[in-house]
Amino acid sequence: MDKPIMTGSLESSDCLITLYETDTPIIEVDTIVHDAFHDHILHLIKDVLKHYDLEHLSVRIQDKGALDYAIKARLKAAIEIYEDDSNG
Amino acid sequence: MARSYLFIPANEPRMLQNAYVFDADAIILDLEDSVAIEEKHEARHLAKSFLKDYPKDTARTYVRINTQADWLERDLACLQDLDFEGIVLPKMTLKMWETYEKTALKQGFHKPVIGIVETPEAFFELDAIASIEQIEGLILGAEDLVSGMEAKRTLEGHEILYARSMVRMACAKHHILAIDTPWTNLEEAHLQKDITHAITLGFEGKCAIHPNQVPVINEAFAPSKATIDFALRVMKKYEETSSMRFSLDGQMVDKPVLQRAEDTLKKARFYGLLKEDRS
Amino acid sequence: MKHFDALDKLLDALPLENGLSISFHHHLRDGDGVINPVLRALKKRDIKDMHLYVSSIFPSYKAIKELMESGHIKDITTNYMNGPVAQAISQNGLKGTLKMQSHGGRARAFIEGENKVDIAFIAAPAVSRQGDITGAVGKNSFGSIGYACEDARHASLKVAITDTFRDDFTPQIKGELVDYVLEVDSIGDVARMASGTLKITKDPLGLKIARETMQFLTAIKAIKQDVSFQSGAGGVSLSITKMFNDYLKRHALQASFYSGGITGVHVDALEKGLVRDLYDVQCFDRAAAKSLFVNAHHHFMCASDYANPNNEKRIIKALDIVILGASEIDLDFNVNVTTDSYNTLIGGSGGHSDTAEDAKLSIIVSPLLRARTVLIKDRVNTITTQGRFVDVLITERGIAINPLRTDLIEAIKGSDLNVMSIEELQKKAYNLTGIPKSKNHKLSAIGIVENRHGDAQDTLYKKE
Repeated sequence: MDKPIMTGSLESSDCLITLYETDTPIIEVDTIVHDAFHDHILHLIKDVLKHYDLEHLSVRIQDKGALDYAIKARLKAAIEIYEDDSNG
Repeated sequence: MARSYLFIPANEPRMLQNAYVFDADAIILDLEDSVAIEEKHEARHLAKSFLKDYPKDTARTYVRINTQADWLERDLACLQDLDFEGIVLPKMTLKMWETYEKTALKQGFHKPVIGIVETPEAFFELDAIASIEQIEGLILGAEDLVSGMEAKRTLEGHEILYARSMVRMACAKHHILAIDTPWTNLEEAHLQKDITHAITLGFEGKCAIHPNQVPVINEAFAPSKATIDFALRVMKKYEETSSMRFSLDGQMVDKPVLQRAEDTLKKARFYGLLKEDRS
Repeated sequence: MKHFDALDKLLDALPLENGLSISFHHHLRDGDGVINPVLRALKKRDIKDMHLYVSSIFPSYKAIKELMESGHIKDITTNYMNGPVAQAISQNGLKGTLKMQSHGGRARAFIEGENKVDIAFIAAPAVSRQGDITGAVGKNSFGSIGYACEDARHASLKVAITDTFRDDFTPQIKGELVDYVLEVDSIGDVARMASGTLKITKDPLGLKIARETMQFLTAIKAIKQDVSFQSGAGGVSLSITKMFNDYLKRHALQASFYSGGITGVHVDALEKGLVRDLYDVQCFDRAAAKSLFVNAHHHFMCASDYANPNNEKRIIKALDIVILGASEIDLDFNVNVTTDSYNTLIGGSGGHSDTAEDAKLSIIVSPLLRARTVLIKDRVNTITTQGRFVDVLITERGIAINPLRTDLIEAIKGSDLNVMSIEELQKKAYNLTGIPKSKNHKLSAIGIVENRHGDAQDTLYKKE
């Protein structure tokens, strides 16, 4: 991966996902609903990465209160770009 | 059956989250004109995830797809195996249908389709388009049509009267839904006037491009309270007399009037306007 | 009555000492030009540990923050605050205590001597030779000066600060109450008074809530000849007022009065004969200020005549319907408009708890979902208004009626309204967001919320 892949936005109810490679993978969750959903979002991201067998990738999410369906969609969109890049 | 068809840009979570809030009878998730080219990929994922995971509501849900062959293919691919009502296919012509059908067949995609007729070409094959089996309705797309004609869209609507009438007639002939064009100016009084033209011609519903248009459309296309009350009384008297001809308020009631009353009540029931059906 | 032409000369004449208590009103809202210079001058004179009584705090009142940090302001008593001062108090607390009152409660507390003020500084749009004050004329006429009446009656010393001398007006505050007059170039910028919240909403969610509210009012037959009505200046409230006006017009009805903070939308109803009288404690825009001056049925009222619970003649005692907002509501219908869920101060009662308690029908209007945040909590972070005074919650996704109001529950039977219990409405939201984890932030107390009768109702805490 040449440069980080970004999907989504910083609009209300959306989130900005940054997918990138590092030596040690990290997941950073920065959310406006920190108390209520920080841990939940962290697990959601881990689950999706695991499902695609991409746990070596790092993810940063800047969340503006996106619901699960939107977080998953943004992350999967980034993953698909990553996979297209890797295969092409 | 639906009075209002509300367009929701598929790449905007803020809009998607509230898609079912505005009492539209149908929503159309839009992958086409309201999504920028560089956002198509993300919009597909968002639409897919929304249809899969977001709790369903009573409104009918459609997806408007892109017509460019490779995009159309990707759009349909991402919509596989999802629970929604049907596809809205823009720029509908027989040639467009051929492209669509080929892709749909290849992917084993079977959903009803509402076509948007919005090019001059479409109006010379309207009968054939309306006769296609998967087509469950037609939307008149006046904005594009008018620019194709190099005409000017006006509040009076003379420029689209011919097209509007043709759409209505083709739909009536083939018993499919006749859905009126969106009105793009947000002035409520103007929308109301545009709706009146469509209702006069017999359209059953209309597209909304902004949530604030929905209540206006819903009210206009629903049978009025007076109409419902009259229909209820007609049916009551019909049951009492069990005759197809009788007088009510000094007016003769015969078969066409009875038929209309029945249709009115069917509509009213469907739109939840009959209270005894609510409990 | 003594006249001064410079703030320093005035301050030389005033008995200033540590622990001084001073008061201000907020009628110029973000355009106030009196609070900052007076506070800074007192700081320069190194008056420590002051108690500030200001009816509300707006973002531009930055000197408050400076004096808090330098130790010159120790305690604050107010009814509403937002912006940087609110942020700073939430973050660090005060050297002393914060007390949040209601508009009616503040008036009561002045009258009863609970709010004990040494010097009231009153920004006055016009002052006469006799020292009479009005808000209705002058360079910076903001209309009603209702929140300053009790300060003028009960503070030990009263200073009118003005940029306009005139004699041709009916006083809102009598000159005999005023001890000193200070002439300044400008008391502020009235053009900035209406900044912010005062626009009829075009936001579809807000309009949906407004329509639902009108349907609810219609279903319970609440809009009758001679009905009285109050709503705030938020976008949704204003939309409801406009729809309320339209309803009256369509049905050839006339309301008896609209009360509280008045806007151009209220004035429009008065001018069209849809309402007989306006009772105005605060003008939210220039259209209201202008109308107060010219229309005999647009009445000025003092905070005590508006909402003081011990005043039997208070206007809102006769109020039929009030429309109010919420930043949180809980399963017992308690409402929070004071803090967010992280203890940051974002508002305050203002007239919220006063009108909810007095009006025959109090309706809370708010979106159920703001992004992923659900309005309905198990327990609100701060109780601004007690649930027993709240009758109905109207959101974009459903309506909940307080179970105490069995009459309303009966009245909506058979209607098309989307009514459910507040628990069901919360569940409906959780179905979209998931169940939020709750976390207790209540570590160090910084003040209290006092109800309008003077009892401590809840505790305010530092932001984590």
